[in-house]
Amino acid sequence: MSDSAATVPNSTGIDNKKLIMWLFLASDCMFFGTLISTHLLYRKLYPSGFTDAAGNERFIQGLFDIELTSFSTFILLMSSFLMALAVSAMHKGQIASFRRNVLGVILFGLIFLGCQVYEFTHFYQRGLTIQNSVFGSTFYVLTGTHGTHVAIGVLWLILLYFYSFTGRLRGHGGATDVEVAGLYWHFVDIVWILIFTVVYLIEYLGPNGIWGPALPLS
Amino acid sequence: MSTTHDSDAPIGPELIAEETRRYHHFITLALWLAIITGVEIVAIFLPLSAGLLLAGLGILSIVKFIAVILWFMHLIYDHRLLFWLFMAGLLLACATFTALVCLFSIERVDTLWFG
Repeated sequence: MSDSAATVPNSTGIDNKKLIMWLFLASDCMFFGTLISTHLLYRKLYPSGFTDAAGNERFIQGLFDIELTSFSTFILLMSSFLMALAVSAMHKGQIASFRRNVLGVILFGLIFLGCQVYEFTHFYQRGLTIQNSVFGSTFYVLTGTHGTHVAIGVLWLILLYFYSFTGRLRGHGGATDVEVAGLYWHFVDIVWILIFTVVYLIEYLGPNGIWGPALPLS
Repeated sequence: MSTTHDSDAPIGPELIAEETRRYHHFITLALWLAIITGVEIVAIFLPLSAGLLLAGLGILSIVKFIAVILWFMHLIYDHRLLFWLFMAGLLLACATFTALVCLFSIERVDTLWFG
C-alpha cells in the first residue's frame, strides 16, 4: 500500500493519497447532498403514508424507533472516536494499540450495520417497501447508500487489520494509509449525523410533525 | 501541516508528543459528541414549538459535523488546501439543496417561467 507514487513530492506538499481522499470526500458530499435534498423535498411534497401488501393505509409518523436509531448513532460516534485513536496510535508507531482500536471500530461498524438490517426488516414487515411509496424509495436509497458506505469502510478496516500483521504497515507511509481510511470512516460518521437529524429526529417535532398532519392516501 | 514523507521514515519524538496532546482532545470531543446527541434526543420530547426545535437540532448537528471534520479528520491541523477542497464540495451540496428547494417551492414552474 505504501508505494512510491504516493510519496513523490508535489507542489502542494500534501501526501497524494490524502489529497485524493479529500477530493473523493468532497464529491461524495455532493452525492449525499443530493440524496438528502431529494428525501426532504419528496417528504414535503408527498406527506401521505403508504399502502401495505394487505391494502391497509399506513402513516409514516410512528414508523420510526427512536431508541434503536439513537443507539446506532451513539455507536457510530464512538466508532469515530476509536478510529481517531487508531490513527493517533499509528502516528506514534504503536501497532498493538492501533490493532485494538481498529478492532473496536470494526465491531461498532458491524453493530451499526446489524441495527440497520433490523430496521429495514422491521419496516418491510410493516409494509414499507422501496416500491410502494415515494417515502420508501427515498428513505431506502438514502440510508441504504449510507449503509453501503459503512460496509465498505468495515471491509477496508478488516483488510488494514490483517495487513498490519505483514509488517509492511509502518513509518509515515503506514500512518498515512491508516489516516486515509480514518478520513473515510469519519466522513461516514458525519453523513450519519445529518441523516439522524433530517430523516429521523425531524419526524418527532410537534404533535403532527413538521410535515403537517398525517394525511390518508388520496 | 501535512507534508510528504519517505514512506518508511521513522516517526520523530516531536510527532509523538503532538499526537499525545491530540489524544486528550479526542477524548474531550467524544464526550461532547455523546452529550450533544443526548440533548438532541431529549429535546424532541420537550413541549417546544416545532420551528424552535428544528432550528436547535439543525444548529446542534452542524456543531457536531464541524467538530468531527476539524478534530477527528485533522482539518484543524492539516494543510489549508484540504479544508477548502472539502468546503467546495460542501458548498456545492448546499447550493444543490437550495436550488431544489427554490425550484419545488414555485407552483407551476412551466407556465410561470416559460408560459
